[in-house]
Amino acid sequence: MKFRLDTQNGITVGIAELEGRLDASGSAPLQKASADWQTKTPFLVFDCSRLDFIDSSGLGAIVGCLRRSLENNGDLRLAGLTPKVAMVFDLTKARKLFSIFSNAGEAAASFGATPTAIQER
Amino acid sequence: MKTLIAIKEADCAWMRETLPDTHPLLAPLCNKPFVEYLIDFAILAGCREIRLLSDGPLSQIEEYCSNGSRWGIELTYSNLHPSDEEQELLRKNRKFCDTGRTIILSGYNFIDYDKTLDYRSLASIDSAGAIASCPGGSITLAGPPEPSLTDQPLPPVGLTPVDDLKSYCRIAMTTLETGSSRYVLPGYGGEPGCAIGRNVTISKTAQIHKPASIGNNVRILPGAVIGPSAIIGSNVIIDKGSTIKESIILDNTYIGEQLEIEGRIASKNTLIDPESGVTLAMQDPHLLAGINGGATALVLWRKIVHALAAALLLLLLSIPFAILYPLLRLRGKWQDGHSIPNAGLAESIASALSLDRYPLLPGVLTGRLAIIGSRTHENRAANHAGTDCRPAVFSYAETEAWAATESDAAIVERYHALHSTPLGDIGMTIQALINRIHYRNPT
Repeated sequence: MKFRLDTQNGITVGIAELEGRLDASGSAPLQKASADWQTKTPFLVFDCSRLDFIDSSGLGAIVGCLRRSLENNGDLRLAGLTPKVAMVFDLTKARKLFSIFSNAGEAAASFGATPTAIQER
Repeated sequence: MKTLIAIKEADCAWMRETLPDTHPLLAPLCNKPFVEYLIDFAILAGCREIRLLSDGPLSQIEEYCSNGSRWGIELTYSNLHPSDEEQELLRKNRKFCDTGRTIILSGYNFIDYDKTLDYRSLASIDSAGAIASCPGGSITLAGPPEPSLTDQPLPPVGLTPVDDLKSYCRIAMTTLETGSSRYVLPGYGGEPGCAIGRNVTISKTAQIHKPASIGNNVRILPGAVIGPSAIIGSNVIIDKGSTIKESIILDNTYIGEQLEIEGRIASKNTLIDPESGVTLAMQDPHLLAGINGGATALVLWRKIVHALAAALLLLLLSIPFAILYPLLRLRGKWQDGHSIPNAGLAESIASALSLDRYPLLPGVLTGRLAIIGSRTHENRAANHAGTDCRPAVFSYAETEAWAATESDAAIVERYHALHSTPLGDIGMTIQALINRIHYRNPT
């Protein structure tokens, strides 16, 4: 998982790139890394464009990250969901929990926009 | 008049990939096998002899359709070569076709017929040739005309190629919306737009929105919402709170709790987006899973193994039971359906030998119970809702020391119900017996 900080929009946004499979074995490392990222900024973007597979435990880990961000008055936004990953979000109704954007740049920029200007993609 | 139905594997290869266990001609279209629509049309046209031709295996079709007697027709089967055109098919089947008019239905296409109309005038049309065609095949008349059986003109006949999941889904939904006014569709319905099969359990709090078609052996659990435009196949469980809308749930599928399926096809553990063709094989059995409806041999083998194990336990424990049961009864320490308290030597021995379960063992011999599975006589039964529930003498949860709460036990039971083997069950029964000595969990 690559992580970088983006400050282009006047707000520090952490962008994490999720890759490969996010299942039971990948959930704990994500939760642990997320706790570390939260110390830098509560505004996070998960770039899922290279995420091939997610199961319910992976989904649980992402929802856990969202909860932690919200508790820190931040947010977690998702970007670039592949069709298979999007199907899991649709199936489990998890899509309703997240703001989802077509790419990480848009998602990061959305943190700088006013709340009404944020459009869910 | 006779009908030749010619289906080439190349025409329906995509369906083979989607439903690898089902012959494309048996693929359900609004809960009715595709081949039955072709047979229905042939019957409406006045045919009483139909021959099915394919360049692939036909055993599954033969097993389902048999000799056609259920439709009052004579159904025969033969092979064709992938390169065979209509003239070649007629030549190869000349004994079948040589007496008069023959209809050739070629390709994997849906015939847009209306059961209320009379298609028998096909027999008497003067000119042979195609009466309907599409990129995927045609309906062609061959042979000399026969005397007219009707004075009605030929109603329009449409032909739609079923060449991908998108067209399959679209045709299925159109058929569902058109309903039984036009096609002969399975299921019973008190009102138009809703057909329900046999042995269907619908919870009081579930909702069905028309149009919807529900197959046989279906369980729709509390809070589930079916439809509008939902086709639920046979042997399906829709768990609590899930919504199925504009989707097709194929046979032998379990849909987990609180899910939302819209514009999708679900088949066992696979979710398909018919628009994009994206296929997702779920690995979470609590979300989407296959229901093994065809494993009767395994079920029988499991029953035999469990019955043998129960007979052995009945034999081994008969003497201790004969001695300790009256003793504990007299002391008031025996309560049916409850574990034996550990207060004294006799109680400890009876508890260690699991004699409290001894009266349940004959139930395994009669097939009413399994030797190991879910302890469904407890209140957990209501939560299990029968998805993988095997009422049993011992519980899978008793094999695992960590399963402390009801929900832990339910997880363990669910996991082993899905993954255990009959012989593995015996090992787990022994494990449960040993664990009961160590932990003596109250039940």
